[in-house]
Amino acid sequence: MGQFILRRAGVMLLTALCLTFVVFFLTNLFPNLEKLAKTQGNARMTDAEVVSWLDRNGYGGPMIVRYGEWLGVAPGWTREDPETGRITGRCIDQGMDPAEAPRFCGLLQGDLGYSTVSDAEVSEIIGGRLQLTLILMAWAFGVMVPAALIIGVLAGMREGSRTDRSLSTLAIASTATPEYVSGVIFIVLLASSTAGLSPILAEWGWIDSRTLFLGSARSAMEEGVTFWNFTLPVMTIALYGMGYIARMTRASMAEVMTAQYIRTARLKGQSFRNIVLKHALRNALIAPFTVIMLQFPWLLTGVVIVETLFNYNGFGWTLVQAASNNDIELLLACSIVAVFVVLVTQLISDIGYVFLNPRIRLA
Amino acid sequence: MTIHPRTHLATHPVAEMYADEYKAGKLSRREFMTRSTALGVSAAAAYSLIGLAPSTAQAQMATPPMGGSLRIQMEVRALKDPRTFDWSQMANVSRGILEYLVESRADGSFNGVLLESWEANEDASQYILRVRPGITFNNGDPFTAEDVAANFIGWCDSTVEGNSMAARMGALVDPDTGVAREGAIEVIDDMTVQITYPASDITLVAGIADYPAAVQHRDLIGTNPLDHGIGTGAYRVTDYEVGVSARLEKNTDHTYWGEAYLDEIVFIDLGQDPAAWFAGAEAGEFDMTYETVGEFVDLFSAIGWTQSEVVTAATVVIRPNQNNAPYDDVRVRRAIALAVDPQVCLDLGINGQGVTAENHHVAPIHPEYAELPPITVDKEAAAALLAEAGQSDFVFEITSIDDDYRRNTTDAVAAQLRDAGFNVERTVIPGSTFWNDWTTYSFSSTNWNHRELGVIILNLAYRSGVAWNESGFANAEFDALLDQANGIADADARREIMARLQSIMQEEGVTLQPYWRSLFRHYRDGVINADMHPKFEINVHYLGVAA
Repeated sequence: MGQFILRRAGVMLLTALCLTFVVFFLTNLFPNLEKLAKTQGNARMTDAEVVSWLDRNGYGGPMIVRYGEWLGVAPGWTREDPETGRITGRCIDQGMDPAEAPRFCGLLQGDLGYSTVSDAEVSEIIGGRLQLTLILMAWAFGVMVPAALIIGVLAGMREGSRTDRSLSTLAIASTATPEYVSGVIFIVLLASSTAGLSPILAEWGWIDSRTLFLGSARSAMEEGVTFWNFTLPVMTIALYGMGYIARMTRASMAEVMTAQYIRTARLKGQSFRNIVLKHALRNALIAPFTVIMLQFPWLLTGVVIVETLFNYNGFGWTLVQAASNNDIELLLACSIVAVFVVLVTQLISDIGYVFLNPRIRLA
Repeated sequence: MTIHPRTHLATHPVAEMYADEYKAGKLSRREFMTRSTALGVSAAAAYSLIGLAPSTAQAQMATPPMGGSLRIQMEVRALKDPRTFDWSQMANVSRGILEYLVESRADGSFNGVLLESWEANEDASQYILRVRPGITFNNGDPFTAEDVAANFIGWCDSTVEGNSMAARMGALVDPDTGVAREGAIEVIDDMTVQITYPASDITLVAGIADYPAAVQHRDLIGTNPLDHGIGTGAYRVTDYEVGVSARLEKNTDHTYWGEAYLDEIVFIDLGQDPAAWFAGAEAGEFDMTYETVGEFVDLFSAIGWTQSEVVTAATVVIRPNQNNAPYDDVRVRRAIALAVDPQVCLDLGINGQGVTAENHHVAPIHPEYAELPPITVDKEAAAALLAEAGQSDFVFEITSIDDDYRRNTTDAVAAQLRDAGFNVERTVIPGSTFWNDWTTYSFSSTNWNHRELGVIILNLAYRSGVAWNESGFANAEFDALLDQANGIADADARREIMARLQSIMQEEGVTLQPYWRSLFRHYRDGVINADMHPKFEINVHYLGVAA
């Protein structure tokens, strides 16, 4: 078991290294650096000014060396201004004496670098943003998983019945509707004071506010989560994943219900309720468990869309901002977080599998 | 407003001439105000020159009650050295700390802020700037002529990348050294600075009223105001998270020279999608928009917000770049101009929210605008001209940014060219990469902001070889006429030259420039002095909310 986890950690490191290098390579292509220079300097700089800006801010050296600097295995760049004699460098913070600055300042030294778009340390930004996303994901999971399991089990326990057909249709429809479609539909139907349900409800006097729900989750960041501001983003994420998990649960449940031991239990005269809850459920949950763990990475992509749509400044939103502004070090930090989330959830899913299914052993 | 007692000039010979022109109907009131206040005549005196009482004529500014908090929807971008600001949004936040020497008001007049008054000599080659007494920085230092001079020297430093003030300083910058010309900026005494141009220049006041001209402490030129927080303004920044929000609160440790009403202003960034702004308005997340665009103008009005509109010289140009064949052929450029009806671009591009223009990038609200015969649209003649140039089979690739009005306007141009028998291909580039090559696309659209004078735009965008010359237009006659126009304070004389400049623009088919945009802003009931400004300025010191 210990060895297995170690090996997984090794794979994780290697993946993170490869991915960050790919991201680093792509963000450091010249057109992207040019974009960076223009967003940081002036949107209408000339080509000569761009080159001079890049050189002054440490983007001039060979790419592999700069990747080393970011990792912390190569010493950070320093540069002396030929006119003023002021020394600037990667490891020299504002107001710091160049002589006292450390030689290395990369990932290995715990320095995630500097976000150009936010004008702040990456570590300062990403923590708070992750926390916001964690809250959103927790709510989405809390709604999605129980709902999906209940739908799946109800549909799968009597395959082909009317309940099965209608619940399956619902599940397929929700999986087939991506977040950017369902989110917009929700906003139009439930969060507009001029269209959808809200004006009707307001006219009937059923709601006091102008809209049934808020089409923007921004207030959830400062004033806390309420039913009013968080329902739509949570529903948008949860609906998409829910259908998929429900389908998996149904298939697994339907298969278990045809097994020999279920028939034996029936012949013994067990009640249907007992058969489902005591005999079928545990075995039927093995397959969905993996799927649920795999939903974490999917949720990460979901929050990118939902956070942008509902203006919730979490991890997904940060990723979009970093990518669209070519904020190299912020983007790299985001990739590390993403790799970490994906591989850790996989690890949990593998370990959890062992506990659910005694036939599998981790070598 | 009851603030700003000032001792401006009572009159100026050229201003009196303008007043006669106004009375003769040659000038609109707006044009008259722009020109006479630029010479140093106070707004009140200017109004009296044309026989109007300032109290009834001046743009109405109410006196809001003290206190309150206001939330403004606006992009929050990373701040930097103000000289290199490239978005008015940056200046709207920093204006709470860093004020300006002069501000331009929505009625076209210039008002002194840190300057009490200024005056030009007769040929507008020398300016005397008088500092408003009694202003201190929030670190206790007094604001003096030394600060003004230090800022001018900073603005003239064209060796700083992205310093757009250097272009606005014009001939004050020595072309050999790239910094301020020797003796151009002189401190006469504690309260007076003298600016001397080698030749007449009428753009100084407009230049220092522009948003990158935020005035820093004399020792802090070239720094980011967020790092030190030192300025003359009444506010301080307490939170600044790029892309999320910025919060200003009244600086209680600082005695502000004027009046500031609100206790707190929060700028909320809801991204670039107007649909998200609208959703935010529905959710009650802010009280005032930075700008309302396109169809959302009607939507915001429909949910009961107050609409504020201002006609500007902001526009979109769709220009071929003459360094690329076949656009080096004037017949091709003329054919393009003949095929496109500005009215169609106005209707399809911005829902008719503006007025049509005449492809020469000088607006009727510009003081020196000369009226030319209306432009003709003739699709058959266009096709014939194109055939004559031998380019009937050429595939015209028209590039635009991926947004709302610029893309739609460019699409309208493309559709009209197709109607006239051109082969047209459209390329849409996302906003994040569009600006990398904006000056070199062979045929593309660019938005241009409002500028106070027609010559300012022509100098920035159409003079041979200047940095923002995106059309590749290089014409010795045009440059020579422009030099001449730059030195003429007299309106009629300048207009004669402008007429020629404008017709060169049309004859050479330099650009399509189909309309002037009206700008809109919306705010809730009870927000005071939040009216739209032609240059998107928000002066947080003036804002207020009804008690």
